[in-house]
Amino acid sequence: MLIKINNREYLNHNHCLYNNRIMRGSYKLAGDDELVKASLDGDKLAFGEIVNRYRKMVARTVKGMLGDSVYAEDIGQEVFINLYNSLPGFRGEAKLSTYIQRIAVNLTLNEIKRRKRFFSMFSHKGNEEMSEVEIADSGTEEKVEAKEIVNKALSSLDPKFRIVVTMRLLQGYSTKETAEILNLPLGTVLSRLSRAQEQLREKLKML
Amino acid sequence: MNPFELKKIMIQSLDPGTDTEEIAAKLDNESISYDFRDGFTEKVTTRLFSESLIANHDLEFRRNLSLVFYRIAITGIAAIVMLMLSIFIAQDSFSFDSFLGLGDSIDESIVYLLTGN
Repeated sequence: MLIKINNREYLNHNHCLYNNRIMRGSYKLAGDDELVKASLDGDKLAFGEIVNRYRKMVARTVKGMLGDSVYAEDIGQEVFINLYNSLPGFRGEAKLSTYIQRIAVNLTLNEIKRRKRFFSMFSHKGNEEMSEVEIADSGTEEKVEAKEIVNKALSSLDPKFRIVVTMRLLQGYSTKETAEILNLPLGTVLSRLSRAQEQLREKLKML
Repeated sequence: MNPFELKKIMIQSLDPGTDTEEIAAKLDNESISYDFRDGFTEKVTTRLFSESLIANHDLEFRRNLSLVFYRIAITGIAAIVMLMLSIFIAQDSFSFDSFLGLGDSIDESIVYLLTGN
């Protein structure tokens, strides 16, 4: 009995410590659910932790699709702003990462469409993307070259193929996860993968 | 990682059965990684919490507005150029009168046009 009481007190003490840590603004160990709840209460630090946790994931999608341009930084910011605004509607049916990834994919594809429309008005190049190549400043020559190959290959693909390559190659998602994020039937993803592979093989020969 | 190996991995990643998680991790280890610039998190939180929440809609609105502006501007310039050309062809002059459509008119014909007599 006594042990049980002590045990309970001990657990409560731990819980208090955990809450205190959150109150002090250290959200590193908090789960996504807690971060979402705190963000909904307007906690800046909690949302900052979500951004820190998923910024690389979003960067892979956005920069993989758009290249390392100012636009990509803007779209990255918009992803998290959209996320914040849509958090009240987030029911937790999907994982937070999947939810963020969907927003990133939608915004990136919208940006590509917008740019396609815009550049087709002013340029004979039509739908060619203005994708810049990201080159790491601090890296060996081989690493820079490798990154250049990846970026050039990605930017030369059609957007609908580029997105599946980004999901698979840069994000490491399975075919099923890719289908779930892109909201496409599995068969469509498989067919796009096969066609993307064909296109990529051709493009890589030239690089 | 040499280019040949990288290209092989890239193509391999599109095979449905491949463990892409491992490939993505390998690329990440090879510094083929992506991230936003320093201060990204601060920029996002500043936009959300310090400024008003209209930022997102405002940005979208400004983008669309600039797109519409360019369209209207180009169409307008094209219309002006065509108008000037047609005036020059019809009136053979760029005088103020020709812009008003009075290039070849004489007083009698104006009186006739206005009064019908």
